[in-house]
Amino acid sequence: MAASDSRPDPAGAEGVAGAEADAEGAGAGGAGGAGDAEPDARFTFANERTFLALTRTALAFVVAGLAIVQLLPPFPGVPWGRRLLGVPLIVLGGVIAVVGYLQWSRNQQALRRGEAMSPSILPRVLSVTITAMAIVAAVVLLLSALLEH
Amino acid sequence: MAPRGDLQDPPPGLARERTRLAWSRTVIAFAAVGGALLKTSIAAGAIVVVTAVVLWQLFRVFPAEADGGARPARLRLVAITVAGVSLVALAVAFLGPGA
Repeated sequence: MAASDSRPDPAGAEGVAGAEADAEGAGAGGAGGAGDAEPDARFTFANERTFLALTRTALAFVVAGLAIVQLLPPFPGVPWGRRLLGVPLIVLGGVIAVVGYLQWSRNQQALRRGEAMSPSILPRVLSVTITAMAIVAAVVLLLSALLEH
Repeated sequence: MAPRGDLQDPPPGLARERTRLAWSRTVIAFAAVGGALLKTSIAAGAIVVVTAVVLWQLFRVFPAEADGGARPARLRLVAITVAGVSLVALAVAFLGPGA
């Protein structure tokens, strides 16, 4: 490690930003190269918990999309409304799982090399997607109410 | 007061427990997705529930190393499994009984 003071605090690092610090990027891949050192176990565990938190977020997106498509009654006048809302959530769940693994791999590599961890795009992607889906849901509901009368 | 050098790399302690609990929550989330799938597609739901059980057994048989070494193969397996579950969910969304 370059300096232990530059490490993020691993205690309770559970969310998306838990194992992240600002600054430049690092190469992808989980295997260590020449000169890499095994990082402090607490940071490895914190990085793993961040990945698991993202995995649960991905599963929540998948089950929410599935529930919208399969369990909601059809919107009157908007027969494609359920798929419009549910399918993007399911796709996003798969994307979060894969990107979460790549992010874990990058962070682990940075920890091994004592470099700063690259900022994640996932918080921004999640915020934008959830906001967009809320807007689309409101539009579908309004459209359905208008077409019903 | 302990010398600063002793505090540089303390044992992981409760970090391992927190990680174990995080794995438990993740497996429960897997099982919940399987339960939701069972509602509409018994085969797809059963596959996901069995996958959750297999992941849990993998975690139990191969517990975290004492030194907290990284386990990329296990995490890669989880990521691929979630991506696969999302594909199954997509298939159910388009081909399931409510579609």
